This record gives sequence, structure tokens and C-alpha cells, in this order.
Amino acid sequence: MSAPDFERIFRQAGVTGWLHATDIDAGREVGHGADEPLPTASMFKVPLLVALCRQADAGLLDLSCRVTVTDADRAPGSTGLSAMRDDVTISLRDLAYSMISVSDNTSADQLLSRVGYAAIGAVLESFGLAVTRVVQSAGEMLASMSADTGHEWPVVEPDDIARLGALDPARANRSTPREMTTLFGLIWRDEAASAESCAWMRTLFNAQVWPHRLASGFPYDDVSVSGKTGTLPTLRCESGVVEYPDGGRYAVSVFTRSFSTALNQPRADAVIGTAARMAVDHLRR
Amino acid sequence: MDLVRHLRYFTVVAEELHFGNAAIRLGMAQPPLSQRIKRLEEELGVRLFDRSARQVRLTEAGRLLLAEAREIVARVDRLHELAHQGQGTVLKVGVPPDLAAAVLAALVGGFRAAHPDVRLMPTEIWTADQVAALAEGTIDVGLVRHPVAGPGLRLGRVLVQNQGVLLADDDPLTGVGEVHLADLAGRELLLPPMEGEPGWHAEVLSECRRHGYVPARVHEGTGLGMVLAGAAVAFGPRADLPGLSWRPLLGSPITSRVSTAWRAAAAPAEDGTGGELVAAFAAVAVRALKENAGMTDDGGVPARRVSRRPGMLA
Repeated sequence: MSAPDFERIFRQAGVTGWLHATDIDAGREVGHGADEPLPTASMFKVPLLVALCRQADAGLLDLSCRVTVTDADRAPGSTGLSAMRDDVTISLRDLAYSMISVSDNTSADQLLSRVGYAAIGAVLESFGLAVTRVVQSAGEMLASMSADTGHEWPVVEPDDIARLGALDPARANRSTPREMTTLFGLIWRDEAASAESCAWMRTLFNAQVWPHRLASGFPYDDVSVSGKTGTLPTLRCESGVVEYPDGGRYAVSVFTRSFSTALNQPRADAVIGTAARMAVDHLRR
Repeated sequence: MDLVRHLRYFTVVAEELHFGNAAIRLGMAQPPLSQRIKRLEEELGVRLFDRSARQVRLTEAGRLLLAEAREIVARVDRLHELAHQGQGTVLKVGVPPDLAAAVLAALVGGFRAAHPDVRLMPTEIWTADQVAALAEGTIDVGLVRHPVAGPGLRLGRVLVQNQGVLLADDDPLTGVGEVHLADLAGRELLLPPMEGEPGWHAEVLSECRRHGYVPARVHEGTGLGMVLAGAAVAFGPRADLPGLSWRPLLGSPITSRVSTAWRAAAAPAEDGTGGELVAAFAAVAVRALKENAGMTDDGGVPARRVSRRPGMLA
């Protein structure tokens, strides 16, 4: 069975796409530019969460420890603590929930400041992930956009977008479709951290609220979709796991860059789900 | 006198031309055989055998009558055979009209091999009509679709089969390996008649609704013309039919459950064999459905899974 025509459906949606999908238990895989280094945008929160769990497993961090986040600590963002106005006292565990379920940048940076870049890098290297790196916080990533373009949000001019370091995998947080599915496979097989921590991470990814990307390809009550999105101007991506009623589990990662710089492109969001469905369907044949 | 029996003695003696040998063949002593031949000669008023010589010989009259006697004996034998067949055991069986020809053939063939003396009389009727026919005694045993209920109904081993969907070759859904019921939205559905299969009808439609498919219209019938025309889809076992494509249903939401059924009072029947025959048919049915229809033992209904998506209650 030849691989699905991913090129065509990405083109029809007005994007360039990269994809990798793998059967978590059987190892079968299908890809489309699966080893391309790409900027991860908010998907950097996945390796951050794994490193957080490893430190908690090792007793270096207490997830129930409460921190108070003040207005001065806030990173830009439209969700979670980033969108609130007053001081918030919250556990590290719940910061992680906010970071994954609604992609809260402030929660991510609070955790990142405690976990540290070096620890994340060490975890990624221990998994043999050579491309994936976390080198900037959410706050730094968004600040770089203003610095690169010389103005504040929104960034929609093609020339501005061409200047964005946040979209340059050499400078920004980065990964590949294959390395993202590898990471999710490790989490789903209880290999990324302790079994207890992996189970907790799975509940967080399953609690992610966005229905428009990966989940849109599986609009079925009996199929479960867990994942983490990432979004920057022209970049839309999501990596996660699709679980079928018969127990089949598939890690899928889809990155897209849209031809248009418009911020609202439902078709570009939906093609992530469509391509993922085609990939999983292919793996099940 | 019993003329036919005497004629039979006559034909045997005529073949042996020896009273002793003929008596052995007939399993009787020689004197009564000689006596009966004598009585037959008296009855017919002619001598059949010439016993004067050392050898027994047919007389001219005997030779003339022998052919007729043989004819009479053969016809009477045939008459008895026919009479026996007429009252021979027949098992009246109800089968669903949409049962695949190969499965019905396997049922009939399998039963004939196990019970060559019993004639299987299949009637093609739907489940609801089988239940009525069982109650009336019009059929002895049925092959019914579940869910099914009826007073005094006994059910055999339940076999199951996941159903897929039959689509016209040019349906865009044929592009995917598995079809979810929700993907069928906008398509009309072909089902067996509701009157004949009320349980199956209700179960299938409720599974469809639950999984996001509410057919705009439900057609009743078994002919696949509507499907071929792209005007409807149908559920069924894997099939390779020209112009149609079969796809499995994601999550196996639609499962056909089939068993034999008979009325409790019918087993055992008055002759003491009815129950055995029903049991024999049930065994043959299980084998035929497994080997020819790809059905399997009922593994129980899998727990229904509903994935939790945060947006569902937002």
C-alpha cells in the first residue's frame, strides 16, 4: 500500500506540510519530510514537561510546591495565567496543567525557570533526540518577534515574517516530526519518566482544549486525541497521540507553514487533522 | 392368503430352482415354503413347478407368471419405500432470506452428511416470522438475528460478526481504509425490512445515532441496487461484489449476532428424536457459520468508550 498523497492535501489547504506518524506499539510508521528540523513554537512545552517529571521523579522538585506568580512574572499570551490580572498562587503541578491544556506561556516560563535548559537538553540527549532543543522561553520567543520586526503584535507582513528568528530552526526551539512522535511514544509507553509521571502527562495532553487541529481529523466519540499545539505566524503544528477503540495507539506530529500570512486559516488548522487521519488510516491498513 | 408374500416366495424358488436353497434365502424352513407354494398353485389354479424330475423346473405357466410376479413384488416394494419416505423425518428450518448462498449450502450439506435419513426443509423467512413460525410449529428450528425474544423460545450458541459498510465504488469514502459511522453522514441507509427484523433494525439505528450517523432515509430491502447506484449504503460482512466496495467500520460498532432458536416444548418431540435433530442442526449451524460466514463465538459486548474532550462541556 503506497503512502497517502500528503503533498496534495497540504497544497489544497494552502500550506507546506511535514508529518510523521507511528504505531506506538507495533512501530510501523509513515512520514512526509519527517526529519526536517522545524521550529516548535509552543510544542517546546512537551520536552519541558518531560524534564519537569524527571526532576520530580528524582526528588529534585516537589510538584505540590506552591509559587506565587505576580504581574511582573507574566509572559505575553491570551490564556491561563498570562491572561489574568492579579497575583496567582499555584502549585507546580497546576502550572503544568495550565501550560499544556491551554498553552499558557506564563506557566511554561515559571516551570522553565525551575527546570533549566540544561536539564531539558540532558533528557533529550538521553532519549537520543539529536535535533530537538529548547533554547528560549516563551517570553523570549515572543519578545524576539518584536525585536526582529521592530513593532508589536500583530505580525502579518511577509517581509516581517521572513525576519522572524522564532521561525528559524537554527535559532529557535526546534524539533522534527519524527522526534516529536518519538517523544510522545516514550510518554505513552511509560518510558519517558516514571509510569506514574507518564500517566499524569497523558492526562494533561488529553485535557488540551483545542479541537481545531489534530482532534478535528477524528471527530468520533470513541477515538481519543491527546496533544500539544504550536502556533506562530504562518506556522501551525500539533503533535500528540490518537487512540482507537480497538486499543491501537498512534503518535502523530504535523507541522505546517501557510503560504498566506493571514492569522485565521481554518483550513490550515484542519489539514493537520486530515493528514493525521490519513496517516493513521494508512498505518492500520 | 397374503398373495404378495406368496408371490415373493414363488420368485425366490423360481430363481433358486431348489426348495432348500430358497428356504435358506427366505430364512424359513423348507416344509412351510413347499406348503405355501402349493397353496399359491391352488389359488391360481395352475402348477408353477414341475417337481417330477430330479430337478425342480418351472412349468410353462410358471414361466409366464414369473415376470408378472416379479413386477408385482417390485411394485409393492416400491410402494412401501415411498410410503416410508413420505412419513420419513423432515426437519423444517427457518433461515434469514439474506443468508449467503454458500452458508445455506454448507448448512444443508453439513446436515445431510450428519443425518442422511433426515430431510432438511429450509424456508427463507425473517427473524420475526421465524419466531411466529416456531410458536405455530410451522418450523422446527430457526436461525435468528439478535436481539430476539419470544415466549418459550430457546436459543442456541450465539455467534457474532462485525459488520462493515458497503459503498458504491465511486463513493469518496472508499479512499479510506476504515470508515467511521459518523463519516456516513448525509448518506441514506439500506436495512432488512423492519417488520421482519425489528430487533436488528432498532439496534443498528440506535448505534448509528450514538456514533453520529442519522440516516436521512432508511430503505428496507435486501437488493443492493440502491447501494450500487450510490443512493444508499448497507452494512454487512466483508464482500467482494462488482461495483461495490466494502470497508470495515472503525471501532466495530455494528455487530451481527446470530443463533439457532427452537421452542422449548419441541424438544424432545413425541418420537423422541426431535430434540436430537434440533441439537444436531444447531451444531451444524455453528460449524457452517464459523467456516463459511466467518462468524466467531460471542466474546461479550465490549465496553462502550467515549473519549473525553475538554471542549465537550465548554
